[in-house]
Amino acid sequence: MNDTSRQALLEATSVAKTFGDHQVIRDISFTVPKGTVTVIIGPSGSGKTTLLRGLNALERPDRGIIRIGDVTVDFDTVKASRHGRLKASDRELIRRYQARSGMVFQSHNLFPHRTALQNVTEGPIVVQGKPSEQANADARELLAKVGLAEHADKYPAQLSGGQQQRVGIARALALEPDLLLFDEPTSALDPELVGGVLQVIRGLAGEGRTMVLVTHEIRFARDVADQVLFIDGGVVVERGAPADVIDQPQQERTRTFLHRLLEV
Amino acid sequence: MLRGDPEFGGYGFTHETSIPYALAVHKVRLSFVRVAALLATLFLGLGVPATPAAQAAPQAASGTGLPPVLRVGTEGVYPPFSYHDSSDKLTGFDVDLITAIGKRLGVKIEFVETPWDSMFSALQSKRIDLVANEVTRNPQRAAKYDLSAPYISTTGVLVVKSDNTTIKSLADLKGKRAAENITSNWAQTAKDAGATVVGVDAMDKAVAALTDGRVDAMVNDQLAVKNYLNTTGNKSVKIVATTNDKSQSVFAARKGSGYMPAINKQIAQMRQDGSLQQIYNKYFGAKSEQKSTTSDWQIVKDNAWPMLRATLKTTIPLTAVSFVIGLILSVLVALMRRSSVFLLSWTARVYISIIRGTPLLVQLVIVFYGLPEIGVRFSTFISAAIALSLNVGGYGAEIVRSAISSVPRGQWEAAETIGMDYRTSLRRVVLPQAARIAVPPLGNTLLSLVKDTSLTSAILALDLFHQAQIAAAPTYSYFALYSAAAVYYWVICFVLNGFQGRLETRLNRYVTA
Repeated sequence: MNDTSRQALLEATSVAKTFGDHQVIRDISFTVPKGTVTVIIGPSGSGKTTLLRGLNALERPDRGIIRIGDVTVDFDTVKASRHGRLKASDRELIRRYQARSGMVFQSHNLFPHRTALQNVTEGPIVVQGKPSEQANADARELLAKVGLAEHADKYPAQLSGGQQQRVGIARALALEPDLLLFDEPTSALDPELVGGVLQVIRGLAGEGRTMVLVTHEIRFARDVADQVLFIDGGVVVERGAPADVIDQPQQERTRTFLHRLLEV
Repeated sequence: MLRGDPEFGGYGFTHETSIPYALAVHKVRLSFVRVAALLATLFLGLGVPATPAAQAAPQAASGTGLPPVLRVGTEGVYPPFSYHDSSDKLTGFDVDLITAIGKRLGVKIEFVETPWDSMFSALQSKRIDLVANEVTRNPQRAAKYDLSAPYISTTGVLVVKSDNTTIKSLADLKGKRAAENITSNWAQTAKDAGATVVGVDAMDKAVAALTDGRVDAMVNDQLAVKNYLNTTGNKSVKIVATTNDKSQSVFAARKGSGYMPAINKQIAQMRQDGSLQQIYNKYFGAKSEQKSTTSDWQIVKDNAWPMLRATLKTTIPLTAVSFVIGLILSVLVALMRRSSVFLLSWTARVYISIIRGTPLLVQLVIVFYGLPEIGVRFSTFISAAIALSLNVGGYGAEIVRSAISSVPRGQWEAAETIGMDYRTSLRRVVLPQAARIAVPPLGNTLLSLVKDTSLTSAILALDLFHQAQIAAAPTYSYFALYSAAAVYYWVICFVLNGFQGRLETRLNRYVTA
């Protein structure tokens, strides 16, 4: 473990987050070695989505230090003013931090007024300043990779939920992030569309991409994960290889959760 | 007394009778101008007349005490004193007289057509220097303004149906019914003579009541009655007597103007050399121009181009400029309103609250007459554009704000995760989607704006509706001309509505795809 943590791409230390009176994340620390897949599981309200969003600063933790690659953010010092504003230097730090990861949302959040292709090229062209021919060519390649080559010029509303989610994945990939984050990517999909999306994610894992997923697809997790975190009540209850956490859980809470989930 | 007077109570019937507001709405609106003007004055705490020191006149024309260019306020819709002739040229007794005086004094006269109800606001705010619009002399005015020597005086006349032989003098009115504007001094005259007053609000209605036999008589201003009879060629009523009331018309300027000695001297001279009588005869003499009765249709046809011209020159440009500026303002204010910086959101709230909480007419009057009193002066068109833009901005801001709010949070988040900052997110992601939602309500705002430009006719006398008023005043064809104006507005709105439909289709293409 020491060996891998030295090569860790992501290192989260003592992360905490409170909404009002509710402490959603109490104290969570974990690492994600480069090139591995970490799956976060846990009951609803356990804090897993908040944790994932913290890795992209969509939700800024109140405390803790998170390092992704060469960017380290100490959330004890990055604090908003009374008006919810950050200092310019902090904004710049957060921007670099966010640029390290790509996010795939549960409800895809594609830009409805742009075509699949434009959704993918938006970041490279507008944010990164990539020449548009280059960005278009790259985007078409990415769309082909997620199986949507012929749908590039359709608007999101013309695509199925599964196709939309795959555009979302292509959009995240287009910025070439070190780390990919998935927030329940299949939860909002009709069952028959789940397979296609999981297949794309599995393919990405096969390429050796570093990913963190929040999911309820336990079988899928067992397949692709290198590491499983079981979170409940804002803390990591159990952590380890899927063969341990999913097949031979040590903790009663993990057993109960998995039992309920697999029973269905 | 020739004029209904907004400042000192409706004394005369004449104003209302020579301008019978065919549309009740219009009448309500005009009386509302008074309230608006009063409010504007109150807001600015400038209820007192301007002091002489405040009006350091630009260099005077040599020896006369008058500026080289004298801006004269006149109504343009009050025949035969101030109106537009059939070739749309401003003319009338007062117009001719002050023009002649200006010529004699070597002063250039620049007419500023101003509705009666805001005439004295315009004088106080220095948009005009002199009023030439049959201002009746009375003690209150004498105290507040510089008044010239009287240049015309008139009396009341008793009017009955042509075949009536029983009423020959005021004494015969006892126990009879008289049609009067109930707030006018003529109503008082009739009452004093023992008549029962039946309220009417316009000369043509009074005449109609006479002809129908609903009333027996009316008492009204001599000049106004003669003009009405001349213009309409109505032979069903006749003048049988004059009253003892006498009223005198004067020019009015701001107190301490120093204009009057020179003007009075010219009035006296013109009286002596007969030129005043000449002008009088032109409008009131026995041989005064008899207008042939023209059909409403012909009048509308004659005025189709002037009304279209006013539409193209004022109504449409004013709408376009105000809407574009208002839209930019809407987006800025909506963003301020959403801002987490208290000062910004608070400023936006106050602005929106004021705009939505006060009548547009009051806003127009404040920009037009209030701001000049505190030294901020714009041309009439720009003043109107400012007021209308601010108005559009207030309503538009709430539309834009709600449209922005309706864009799902996930869109902001997705933009953030691909590295966009706030401005880029707005520009590339949120506003394009908000636009789709905002177009129908903003379309409403635009159509309202088209029609609201007609309110500017209450202060600046340039737009389509004012052109209709100008054409209607000397012809009494109110219904036909106002209906024609309504058609113009409707056509503009119809076309804009078509554009809106196409824009919506375009913006919806990705949703309905």
